[in-house]
Amino acid sequence: MTASKTTSRATLITIIITLLLVALLGWRFYSLGNYTLARATQDFLNALTLGSLYALIALGYTMVYGIIRLINFAHGDIFMLGSYLAFYAMALTPMHWAAALLVTILLGGTVLLVIRALFNLEEPKKTITLALLLFAGTFFLLAFRHMGWIEALLLSMLATGVAGVLLEAVAYRPLRGAPRESMLITAIAASFFLENLGQLLFGPRVRGFNAETILNKPLSFSIGHDTVYFTGILVMVPLITALLLFVLNTFVSRTKLGKAMRATAQDAEVAQMMGVNVNQVIALTFFIGSILAAAAGVMYSIRFGQIHPLMGLMPGIKAFTAAVIGGIGSLPGAVLGGLLLGMIEIYAVSLFPTLSAYRDVFAFVLLILIMLFRPSGLVGEDLTEKV
Amino acid sequence: MRNTILTIASVGLAALALYLLSHMQGTSGLLSALTLIFIWGIAAVSLNLINGQLGILSLGHHGFMLIGGYVTALLMLPAKERRPFRTRLLSDWARNDLDLDKWLRGLGLDTIANSVDLKFVIALFLAGLAAAFIGIIVGAPSLRLKGDYLAIVTFGFGEIIRLLPNAPQVAAFTNGPLGIKGIPGNAGSIWWTFVVFLLVIWFFSRLKFSSYGRAFEGIREDEIAAEAMGVGLAYHKVLAFTLSAFFAGVAGGLYASYLQSVDTQTFNFFVTFFLLVAISLGGLGSITGAVLGTAIVILVRIYGGFLEESHTAFVGYISGAAVMLAAFAFSVYIRKSRRLRPVVEPKHYIFGGLGILLLLVALLFQGQPWMTQKVQFFGMRRILLAVILILIMIYRREGLMGRAELAWNKVFGSREDIPSDEQRDQDAWLSNPDLNPGAAKEDDDASA
Repeated sequence: MTASKTTSRATLITIIITLLLVALLGWRFYSLGNYTLARATQDFLNALTLGSLYALIALGYTMVYGIIRLINFAHGDIFMLGSYLAFYAMALTPMHWAAALLVTILLGGTVLLVIRALFNLEEPKKTITLALLLFAGTFFLLAFRHMGWIEALLLSMLATGVAGVLLEAVAYRPLRGAPRESMLITAIAASFFLENLGQLLFGPRVRGFNAETILNKPLSFSIGHDTVYFTGILVMVPLITALLLFVLNTFVSRTKLGKAMRATAQDAEVAQMMGVNVNQVIALTFFIGSILAAAAGVMYSIRFGQIHPLMGLMPGIKAFTAAVIGGIGSLPGAVLGGLLLGMIEIYAVSLFPTLSAYRDVFAFVLLILIMLFRPSGLVGEDLTEKV
Repeated sequence: MRNTILTIASVGLAALALYLLSHMQGTSGLLSALTLIFIWGIAAVSLNLINGQLGILSLGHHGFMLIGGYVTALLMLPAKERRPFRTRLLSDWARNDLDLDKWLRGLGLDTIANSVDLKFVIALFLAGLAAAFIGIIVGAPSLRLKGDYLAIVTFGFGEIIRLLPNAPQVAAFTNGPLGIKGIPGNAGSIWWTFVVFLLVIWFFSRLKFSSYGRAFEGIREDEIAAEAMGVGLAYHKVLAFTLSAFFAGVAGGLYASYLQSVDTQTFNFFVTFFLLVAISLGGLGSITGAVLGTAIVILVRIYGGFLEESHTAFVGYISGAAVMLAAFAFSVYIRKSRRLRPVVEPKHYIFGGLGILLLLVALLFQGQPWMTQKVQFFGMRRILLAVILILIMIYRREGLMGRAELAWNKVFGSREDIPSDEQRDQDAWLSNPDLNPGAAKEDDDASA
């Protein structure tokens, strides 16, 4: 998770790849003639949005891998869980006051316990303030009015973060110190468990995710003679992503817990000897990763307008590819990889429409090529095992 | 000698039992269950070769099975029945010349071409070869990697293979997402799968105790030590991978011909997951365990259907509560038997609390309309399999059998494979240079 050493190389590589993309774009532009600047702008917006979403999910993969060397297969399903929670938060509010009270006590209580354990809030004063805030806020959101997408996003982020912590506690923590293959198998099983639990609880059919916000209204502006059509969400996703990345970066680089996280990523044993509570740090990692996945899930659902229990599969794998491209274990690498993968996917399909059938194959081919020829990714550290 | 006779006798008995079963009334469900156990047993044993004996986690097995399935389907389906396929690139060749019948007659083998059974054997063999060829292509570059990187790369290859039949450029062969239907073949009859299964088991049990099998296990235990002892890592890994892919292709072909249809959803990632559950349940590295695990998983899938029937919500709440309370009791039991303190961890109260909550809700709202409505629990069996796999990984990583095999010597208690005390003393005397100075000298002479 070290950023400073590799940043210059990352910048260089980004510039080179951007130049290549621009060259490709220009060549295509001149050779075809119908690829206008307006279409290029539209593609750019799409790519930036998709890339930001991949980056948000990829951060969860890369943080977990950086700390316990586990490919968390179930992360894509955590993403699915996040969007379903937001869906139900919007669909079921305003609730009957008794139901709202029950949900508030259950959800608020769990969130309170988890947050208190994760962030070392031992002082009673802080705990009470947090409890009041949580319970009153949740009850207010649930009972009185129809929930908007921002509130649903926040609530879903909290609840999904807790779900991630629970997943770690139930499935992964008993396997601490087991062979890595066993942990991977467990992660695959957890992924299947969540997918099928989603089908059981939420029903297997595709549902429309209608956020009813101004974000879905079609907007347009004109460049030259052509018009660019887009929606508010296309602008909102990169902005929210940037905000979340800023908060994450501040947390990881400026706070004591962030320092503990970086220390654990470097060497868990030594960190433990220096007094870092490794279990707490790992749970915290899952919490943050799941929060980011939930944010990505809600925005993804608003962007594409529908949700179903298996929706986490492809974005999950693509985000994992993004994490691998950037160098698994590295935070800037995940963001870079996510943006890059978004760009590649959108531009490749837009410039070469015959390839659109292979859209999903791209991610796998890229994944295999990177794994085979540059397992450390673009900016990652070298992870090859030595004797 | 005794063991050989016993093996032949038991195979004969099994065949007799199958013969009686297939002539009795009302056993068709059991027979199809047995057929499935044989087919998936072949696949599980072949995955066990890589995941268990070689100790490499491969997640691309569904790709090899898919190749086997498609090759068998294309070879068995007469060319004229493939007319509705979309016509694109290569389609003329696919429609007119991709025809096993024609090839065989071209070679002057009319007798084989006239018999569906013999054609099926050839098609299965070619399906295995095709899968093995792809296995080499996949394995040679990716087996340089280790651990979870290798798992991810094989997973990627498997998914690429699964996605390719839908692409327009190959849809002339594969009929795209619609798949191929109406495959003739005899895997529907239990004898085919039984015989192929026996041959495969015989092959793998010979392989396990051959020098190659020992080399594989050496690589599993310690790659560096194995290499130092003269085991070629790349060669043995690719060999195991190819063999495994070959038999996965055969199993895929059998399964496609059992279903009489094949499409890309027949062999999705769930197939690999399912095999992974089977071999982990039976014990990674044990052929007997792989077959046993497959049998258990298949029986859960076939006879677990009542889990997914429609019940009232009340039943759902009650069984949810029962599962939660059972989990609570189980975890308390485990901690008590391992003498861990505290006996009840705080997080276990979550299970207990949820269980009691569900029970209370069920009992309080017993008569409510939303409690008596019918609910169907889709995917309950898959959830069960996932939970089984997680529990095995946490509580019993060696599975049911460990690495042991079922052997006649064990059944009769005479452990011929374990040396007696007398032999052990003799070995110790022979190999100890202090007691037997001549031995070391002989070794020197031999090496010189």
